[in-house]
Amino acid sequence: MNPKLCRILFSLAVLSWGVALLYFHASGRIVKYLAPDFRLIALIGGLGLSVLALFNLLTAGQQAGCGHDHGDSDDAHCHDHESSDIHPLLACVLMVLPLALSVAWTKDEYSAAALSRKGLYDAPLNTSASFLSAAMPAITREEIEKGHRKTADGFYEFNLLELYFATGDREMQTAMDGLKIETEGRLIEERTRNANGSRKRLYRLLMSCCAADSRAIPIVLEYGSNPLPSIDENQWVKVAGTMNFPMEEGLLQPILTVDRTVEAEPPFEESFLRNQ
Amino acid sequence: MSPDSQQDFALAFLSILFEGAPFILLGTLISGFIDVYLPPGTMDRFLPRNRKWAVVVAGLLGAVFPVCECAVVPVIRRLVSKGLPVSCALTYMLAAPIVNPITALSTWKAFQGQGAGMMTCSRLLLGFLVAVAVGLIVMRLPLSAVLKKPLVDSLAEKDAKNAKESGCCGGHSHDHTHHASSAANDGDRLVAAFRSAMKDFVDVGVYFAIGVTITALFNTGIAPGANWLDGLAANETAAPAALMTLAFILSLCSTSDAFIAATLDKFSWGAKLAFLTFGPMMDVKLLFLYQTVLRKRFIVFLAIGLFVAIGAITIFWQHQLFQAR
Repeated sequence: MNPKLCRILFSLAVLSWGVALLYFHASGRIVKYLAPDFRLIALIGGLGLSVLALFNLLTAGQQAGCGHDHGDSDDAHCHDHESSDIHPLLACVLMVLPLALSVAWTKDEYSAAALSRKGLYDAPLNTSASFLSAAMPAITREEIEKGHRKTADGFYEFNLLELYFATGDREMQTAMDGLKIETEGRLIEERTRNANGSRKRLYRLLMSCCAADSRAIPIVLEYGSNPLPSIDENQWVKVAGTMNFPMEEGLLQPILTVDRTVEAEPPFEESFLRNQ
Repeated sequence: MSPDSQQDFALAFLSILFEGAPFILLGTLISGFIDVYLPPGTMDRFLPRNRKWAVVVAGLLGAVFPVCECAVVPVIRRLVSKGLPVSCALTYMLAAPIVNPITALSTWKAFQGQGAGMMTCSRLLLGFLVAVAVGLIVMRLPLSAVLKKPLVDSLAEKDAKNAKESGCCGGHSHDHTHHASSAANDGDRLVAAFRSAMKDFVDVGVYFAIGVTITALFNTGIAPGANWLDGLAANETAAPAALMTLAFILSLCSTSDAFIAATLDKFSWGAKLAFLTFGPMMDVKLLFLYQTVLRKRFIVFLAIGLFVAIGAITIFWQHQLFQAR
């Protein structure tokens, strides 16, 4: 292929990656894809890719020597620095096609099937074995109440992550059992141990670095004889009720017996972020 | 593919791409400028003359030049073509993503409460030892058994040319920057450096895109055969193998994989160490990236060798550390 055309094609392919990074950053959608530590890197990467692509696009027709002597043939230089193992057109298609399809397909969130794979319906992990928690003094109900704000109607505001991980910590369970709490997350149908149809599930995602490594953090919502809320699936809600950790089919479950459910605005950071 | 699968694939694909692309750019920019500005043979001067010690030092270079596995491939590709011994380049390629301060810090942070110090030290030590062992083995192999044919040809061509130039310069050994400065001005070289960087980015980007596509398909459960991994956690031998397979499929960056490993509570400490050591050295994405430098047959032997060696060492290590408790 003509070297100039080859450079133009490569530049456009690289530019497409740069523009995608910049677009997702500028639109704010990057928060659904990357943890904060990586967002600035992505912005710099997008700018860098765009500069690299535009520079090469604008100088595509320019003759340039690297200074090394590559032999007498005119083709020798191109061969040494710009030839590729893959046909340039195929390379561009392989770079641009999956990106273009993904940009067209993405809804910035996972489907229920993918969430299920990311732990939405898994039993909570047992985290009580950590030597750090063993070395800490026992947690009391008073300390927990002191460490959380109380709503006007008497519910302690809890992070969903605390409720989830309390299931793996015997001390926390004892201290929190029967506590009236309020928390927020996304509402979704309960598929397991829900013969009466009186349950829903509340979840958020925990992201380490990017959406691909995120994991669902769920608890069970029990409505008992109350009607289930008529709120769309995956809608953000605030729920308040009484927290318990009963054993069901051999597994400890974090279950909130719900007193009230109200729709809520999504938080700025929809996913929990590790170390934040 | 159903609309739900399309949506899941897209989210996973874009997130991994956005995470990895800047690091590839960094690597290819470095490689592009190395290509144009670094005189042949320069890297040799930083390494001891003794080839075995050179391999050992190459295993520690990541501490000074921290590069993740995505960025290291284009860099070593250029370094090899610039005269860095292949054994040293491969040692650096395998060790640098693990033996570097960023990976050490992320591993230590991720394993807080799970023996962070022991895991971090074990990971760095095992990564270093395995990389050096590979380097020492590669040292005894002919170039044609390791590198892709075009790269071997290009090296042979350069060797022949250097020999010829040695003659023309009176037979003494030196670099040829004076040829460079006479042949092109700074503007030309900048254009050449950016062209070289872009070409490298496209070469690596193509394989990265393929790797990310496959990873996204497995990550979201669209590809068949992912669920069986969960059933292997309790088996002492199968668990490290299962997590190395998982690391291979997920193709995570070495700067972030510890956060995933730390959440794999069903698996043993040794299995997690295997995940953290094998992943940065061999995964789906790297399989494609390595093909820009290495022969396919060598990659297959490398993959099998790393799998067996790391699996055996981590099972032994786990046994020694936890048997007495």
